[in-house]
Amino acid sequence: MAARQYVARRIAQAILVVALVYIIVFFTLFVLPGDPIENKLTSPLNPLPPASAEALLAYYQLDKSPIEQFAITVGRLFSGDLGYSLVSGRPVSELIAQGVSDTIVLAAMAFVFTLALSLAIALTTVFAPWAALRNAAASLPIISISTPSFLIGFLLLTIFSFQLGWVSSIRDQGLVSYILPAATLAIAVNGVLSEVLIQGLRRARAEPFVTVLRAKGTGEGTIAIRHILRNGAIPSITVLALVVGELLAGAVVVETVFSRRGLGFVTYESVRDQDTPVILIVVILVSTVYVVINLITDLLYPTLDPRILRHGAKPGGAPAARPTRRQKVTA
Amino acid sequence: MSAPILAASGSRRRSAEAGSFRAFLARLEPVDYLALAVVALVLLALLAPRILSPYDPLVGDDASILTAPSLSHWFGTDYLGRDLLSRIVHGTGRTLLGSAVAVVIGLGVGTILGLLAAYFGGLTDAIISRLVDVLLSIPGLLLSMVVVVALGFGALNAAVAVGIASIAAFTRIMRSEVLTVKGLPFVEASHHLGGKRLYVLARHIFPNSYSSVLALTGLQFGISIIWISSLSFLGYGAPPPQPEWGLLVSEGREYVVSSPWLVVLPGLVIAVTVFSISRLSRVLKEGNTP
Repeated sequence: MAARQYVARRIAQAILVVALVYIIVFFTLFVLPGDPIENKLTSPLNPLPPASAEALLAYYQLDKSPIEQFAITVGRLFSGDLGYSLVSGRPVSELIAQGVSDTIVLAAMAFVFTLALSLAIALTTVFAPWAALRNAAASLPIISISTPSFLIGFLLLTIFSFQLGWVSSIRDQGLVSYILPAATLAIAVNGVLSEVLIQGLRRARAEPFVTVLRAKGTGEGTIAIRHILRNGAIPSITVLALVVGELLAGAVVVETVFSRRGLGFVTYESVRDQDTPVILIVVILVSTVYVVINLITDLLYPTLDPRILRHGAKPGGAPAARPTRRQKVTA
Repeated sequence: MSAPILAASGSRRRSAEAGSFRAFLARLEPVDYLALAVVALVLLALLAPRILSPYDPLVGDDASILTAPSLSHWFGTDYLGRDLLSRIVHGTGRTLLGSAVAVVIGLGVGTILGLLAAYFGGLTDAIISRLVDVLLSIPGLLLSMVVVVALGFGALNAAVAVGIASIAAFTRIMRSEVLTVKGLPFVEASHHLGGKRLYVLARHIFPNSYSSVLALTGLQFGISIIWISSLSFLGYGAPPPQPEWGLLVSEGREYVVSSPWLVVLPGLVIAVTVFSISRLSRVLKEGNTP
């Protein structure tokens, strides 16, 4: 009973967050002083033909009050109408649909790369036999966090496309073309996940069960992979939503660097042209993905680590948020 | 009655801080000395760019267009023959001041919201926490793009946008810190000794909970540098021809095939700077959480 209630409450909370994102972003983008939509549509610089601009002006009903505009937009949203681009006049749904498949493939590949890279870094940091190697691996997450994705992108592009000629920078080579941008995203984004994994592995290694296993004569390799890794990796699922969110946001920069035409490029163009209806939908899409993954991992966490339910503690957020108990002035 | 106890707790805090600076130096590893040197160099570039830059950042030399790094031009020259090193040095101010503005906004607003949420609890906490959930559900870079569309492009607006995008992280950490400190015996004691709510909040809770927020400030400053240079790389931040780190990368983009240093060197300067700042704030943080 209690579990079902918890699930229902978390789902309601997730829906509320997405709705609030929509409201906040809508009012941030649409209802600004100076009527951005009208300015955009009536601007002589806008490439849209005057007839279409007129039609869109009528469509967005800017003479109505902000609340009414909001109600109209939400009503259209529920009937499947996502609005129209202010620059090309094309339906937003069409623009998104065009780019989304490319970005899904890119993000999926980048996600797999990120997992593999984080796992390699964490295992090396915790289990590598030489201290020098452990220290080198331990400094990788902070290097990843410190390096802008465009630098990684241009470095990979320069080395593998321009110098070695392994991957074409212009021709479409199917899945092969995704490798460099996906690797760029993975290198830029893996830092947080690697750190959480390292912490998890270190904590699991210090647990009493490791001593018991050793006493029983279990091999070190088995202890590391089957016991420490399986226990220590659980906390890292709390940052998976964050990782996916970063991958999608990072796609804006990376698709620009690699001249790909996915959702990231659509976002880049719509921000550049201040094409607010497109930006609104992109942001809602990305934040919905984040919220849904967060919901799934939150609900999954207690089944993976039953201790959480027993102690009544809530699954934690990102590691930075976890309070570190300090007894500084306990006098 | 309460005065001596409170004074004692204050002086103990100060002496702990004085000790922790020496402890901070003792904790430094060789890499951290390099990081300190980088930060010093960046500060010098910020305060006195002329000392470090051999040429005028805005005037090109027709005789040396797109030359590779050499002894006369350490970082090479761009398509107008402008010295890249001078442009990077002169761009330091814009990038770093932008990040500073961002961090001040994030830290200021975030700290206040976190303090209010944790201390008052109830409805205040519910509203602020929901707002934090909303802000955190949009990846930071994307959120700052939304704000920069609303505010309009430009160096200052990009900085404000990044600042708004980092409020939630500060709020969340401040809230959890205050929740921890709020339950400690000395806070309760101060309440019982007749301390007013605001007094306890300002005199006891705040000073004892901001240290891990300060550690986050260092990390967030580094992240702000990356976000701001990403925004200006995409063309939403500082307009040319004044140099800015991300802008330098995007200007060099056109020539990346023939002159990769125009992209790689400013990018490396960003990475090394952010790495140094993050590294040092980690050392600070480790000192705070024994």
